[in-house]
This record gives sequence, structure tokens and C-alpha cells, in this order.
Amino acid sequence: MKPAPAAALFAAMGAAALLAERWISVAVIAAVLLAVCLAAASGRRRSLYLAGAALTALSVFLLTPFVETIGSHPIWTGPTIPVVGTLDVTREELAGGAVAALRLLGVSLAFAAYALLLDHDRLLRSVRAGRRSTLAVVLATRLVPTLERDAAGLIEALRGRGVAVAGARGHARLVSPLVAGSLERAYNLAESLEARGYGRPGGTRALQPSWRPLDWLALAGAVAFVVVGVLWL
Amino acid sequence: MLGPSGSGKSTLVRALAGLVPHFHGGRFEGSVEVCGEDTRRTRPADLAGQVATVFQDPEEQVVFGRVEDEVAFGLENVGAPPAAIASQARAALAALGAEHLAGRRIAELSAGELQRVCLASALALEPELLLLDEPTSQLDPDAADALVRLAAGLGVAVVMSEQRPAGPLEVCDRVLFLEDGVVVLDAERDSAVRWLARNRPAYLDRHPEPPVSAPAGLCVCRLEHVSYAYGGGPPVVEDAGLELRVGEVVALVGPNGSGKTTLAKLAAGLLEPARGTVDLRGRAAYLAQDPGRYLVRDRADEEVALGVDGDVARASVALAAVGLAGFEERHPRDLSSGERERLALACVLVTEPDLLILDEPTRGVDPERKDALAALLRARAAGRATLVVTHDVVFAAEVADRMVSLGVPEAVHA
Repeated sequence: MKPAPAAALFAAMGAAALLAERWISVAVIAAVLLAVCLAAASGRRRSLYLAGAALTALSVFLLTPFVETIGSHPIWTGPTIPVVGTLDVTREELAGGAVAALRLLGVSLAFAAYALLLDHDRLLRSVRAGRRSTLAVVLATRLVPTLERDAAGLIEALRGRGVAVAGARGHARLVSPLVAGSLERAYNLAESLEARGYGRPGGTRALQPSWRPLDWLALAGAVAFVVVGVLWL
Repeated sequence: MLGPSGSGKSTLVRALAGLVPHFHGGRFEGSVEVCGEDTRRTRPADLAGQVATVFQDPEEQVVFGRVEDEVAFGLENVGAPPAAIASQARAALAALGAEHLAGRRIAELSAGELQRVCLASALALEPELLLLDEPTSQLDPDAADALVRLAAGLGVAVVMSEQRPAGPLEVCDRVLFLEDGVVVLDAERDSAVRWLARNRPAYLDRHPEPPVSAPAGLCVCRLEHVSYAYGGGPPVVEDAGLELRVGEVVALVGPNGSGKTTLAKLAAGLLEPARGTVDLRGRAAYLAQDPGRYLVRDRADEEVALGVDGDVARASVALAAVGLAGFEERHPRDLSSGERERLALACVLVTEPDLLILDEPTRGVDPERKDALAALLRARAAGRATLVVTHDVVFAAEVADRMVSLGVPEAVHA
């Protein structure tokens, strides 16, 4: 499947997770997206995305009872805070928080699936409009792994001359050289882009492979998923 | 185009590409005409297609994540017919023996493979003028030789700035020699060779005398049956063994991707072997391939002093030893590539380790400085074990008591 229809499918599932009314539907969508994410190659990157999704959802679940005031079946009654009022947690708030957390989990997992499974270069090269924006996004998506590699290289070079990098303070000292290195890299890349003719009028694009029936089916499925999500789920 | 580090070779390359004056600020006098265009009035992007440039560091030139997309990028910018872009890109890769890299991710490539991709990106444009700024710096001797001969056979004007001049001198038509920003020589090859023989013999192909070796002393590092693989991939080093002794300089040579850097890092204790043992007795210092990893501080002396608890006096001595006396207050990022390489060398030399490991220490370093480096390493060989990972076989012959060759995928035996 081409990355564009796959991206549309993940976006549709994320949208359906937001729009579906029944919590069981949201849970099934989140479960399917989790299975898709687990199909990605295991490693630090996958763990980071999944942990991020879980943490975000958990935060929503924990905070919702304190920012909403619904229900009449309190499970816990806390202190009274001036201006804010009496803190309490009701069954209805917990249920609402759980559903909100599930929705956010679904959206987060949809993004994680996009980040882990899709070839972003191919996805963005298939976009016909906004070539400069396309390139900026392509370069930005590589910024974090590039910085990670630079940081690992700096730490290795320091270890190589007997300088240990430990603790938050030790790692914080790397921020300045990392930023300076990024700026220098950006400058050199810009020079290369200029020399390679970027930005001159009359640019063309290599022919992209035609979409196959599976790709069109995925796109249609994405549209249908959103409609079904709104109307029935 | 030859000359010491910081002599202006890269600046001249950029002037030919129009990047000076349009991209780089400064004062510009005189004129540069390329393919009938005055570069003062024609932007570099408009010259692309007629002029193609490959800069020193391949990693800082790539845009896309896949090789075929990267090579196609320049063709798209110059408006090549869409139907022809893919085939032109593949043809350029094939011309460099890199067609097998077409579907690969850029992040997976070795330094040498990446340099070939950058070259393919330039060749794909079928330029009239090809500018190559130290294109063989990351290539093993065979690949470097092949590249130089390929460039010579293109039938276009080629300007190649090089610090490994032996190969280019065999195939070039004309030689420029720069010093302190001035072209001190511009001559046909034969005349240039005679001039170099009289004035700059270090730049000519040499067969240096092997060093006088003293008997090797105690073993500082022993690797036995070590294997290592990155991230669950295939082994990069498999069942390798190596022994490094005090007073001995060992050169580790081999083609790109043969595992030299990995073996060096295992010896330095920077990597843990998946199998086998590494017995390191004493302190090891490792000089990384990329001198950009030694740009942490704002002053050169402070950068060097990091490894000796901030002792700037010792740092100054180390800077002088590598020919950077007077550079103490300079910002490391203001240095040329060769000067950065020497700064990085000072950073590890100052720690006076029991095992000194240098990974490609001559990258971007001019031949005269290489001779000085070889002399420095020989002078200090008595007190430590030294391992030099290098593509530069002339340097290896000049500095090493023993050469160890890594093949693919045979093991190393000391």
C-alpha cells in the first residue's frame, strides 16, 4: 500500500476514535491501532511512541475528574479549595475520564502508527502542492533522530578522552554544542540546496508509481470509516 | 587543486559555484565567469545543472531518506523531464558502482557509500563543470582511485581539491597550488610535478621508509574472538582478535564497511562485545572519525583541556604539538576542516593514554601535516600502544610497525 492512502486510513481511524459515541467502539479502534503499532519493528523508537501515548491517556484520565463537575455518585470527597470549590471524584467523572483517555489513546496511536510504519519521504513526495513546505517537513522529521545521533557522538567522543557525561547537569551541557552543531548543519545544508538548484523556477518531479486497487480501496475505506464512526459507532 | 589546510581551496571551489559571493558574505573582488555566466550576476541555483558541486561532508548535503530520492532531487530542481529522472538517477549510481544502493536508506549507509551517493547526485546532472571538494576523504584506496579515474574520464571540466594527491596527479591535466589564499602555482601537470618535487615534495607519491621499530613491550590491549553487531543486525565484526603492545604503532586498514571503526571502539572500551573478551590494561583514548564531535567549548584551549580537568597550560602544549600554536583563543567552529582534525587530535593526545586509538586522523590533513603527524606519533610511541585506523596506506606505511588488514567478512588476526 502506498503511504498516502495508509496515512489517510490511520487519520480516519484517529478521527473515528474522536467521533464515535460508544466507548466500546473507541476501545476496539484503539486496540486495532495498538496491534498495528506492535507490528512495527521493536525498539526504542516504538517504545517511546507507545509510552507517550499511554502517558498522555493516563494524564487525561487522572485530570478529568478534577476539571469536570458531573454526576451525583461521589467516590471520594476532598478538601474545599477557595475559588475552585470542593474537590470530589464521582463515578460519572471517572467514566467520562476513561472514555476521554481512550479517545486520546486512539488518536495518539494513530499518529504513532503513522510515525512508525510509513515512509515519510515517499508520503511527502506524493504530495503535489507545497513543495517547499514538503521539504521543510521532510527535514524537520529527521531533526530529532539527527540530534540523537549527534548527542550520542558527542558523548562517545567525550568518553573517548576520559570525560564522563552523567546526570541531568552533564547532559544539559551538551545542549549548547548540539544547537550550535544543528545550526552549522542547517547552514551547510542550505548551501548544498542552493548549489543543487533548489528554489529555481521550472522544477519538475519524478514520476510517482500509479496507485493500485488496494490503495484506492484503502482511501475509500478511510472515508467510509469516518462516516461510519460518526453515524453508527 | 592542492595546498595546505586553510589555504583557500574550498573558498575557491565555492567561488566557481557562485556560492561566493551570493551565499557567503564578505568582500569580493575581481570576477568569475562559469559557462559564460558572470557569477556576480548569476545565482548558484541558476548555475546548477551546468555546475555541480560535491562538498567535503556528505552527511551535511543529503536531503531525503532514500538513495534514489536523493539522487533524483537535483534533477527535479533543474527541471529534468519527469519520465527521465528515475533512469538518469540509476545511471549515475551505476556509473559509480553504487546501483545496489538505490533502494537503501541514507541512514544505513557507511561514510564511503554516502560519499558515492553524493557524487552520483552531482553526476546525474551531467554538468559541464564538476567541482569536487576532497571527494576521496572517506573512501578506501581502491574506491578513491576508481573515483578519480571516473572523474577524469567524464569529458567535462573537473576541479578537484584534494589532500590525497597521488591519484589525481596521475590523471590530471593541470595543477593549482594554493597557499595563504594565493595561487602560487598554475601549471601543466608535468611542470607542476617538477615544481612540487623542488618545493613541496610531500605532495608527490612517495614510498616512505618504514619506521625503525623498537621491540614491543607489554600488552596493553588484547581482543580475543570478539564479535559485534549493531541493533540486532548482522555482525560487523566476527571472531576477531588483536593484540596491541607498548611501543608499537599498529595500522588497521581495510575497505569501507569492513568493521575497522567497530574494532577500534571495542579496543577502546566504548563498545561491549557480544561475544569474546577485551582485556584493556590502562587508559585508552579514542579519536573519532568526525572532528565535529570535538566542538563542545568556545575556545580551542578549553576544548583540549576538557580531557585534563581544565588544565589549559597542558592544552596549549598539546595544541603546539599538532601545529596549532597561537590558536588557543580561536573558536573551534571557526577552524577549517584540517584544523579541526588537528584540534581533535590534540584533545586525545593531551590525555597521555596507555592506548591511543586514532580513527582516520589524516582526513582533510595536507601531506606536510601528515608527515608531521607521523613523526609525532613515532616520537611518542615508546610510552604507549597506538592503533591507527586509516585508508591512507602511505601514511600507514610511514607510521606503523605493523599493519593489520580487515576484509569482509574474514576475522582479523594480529
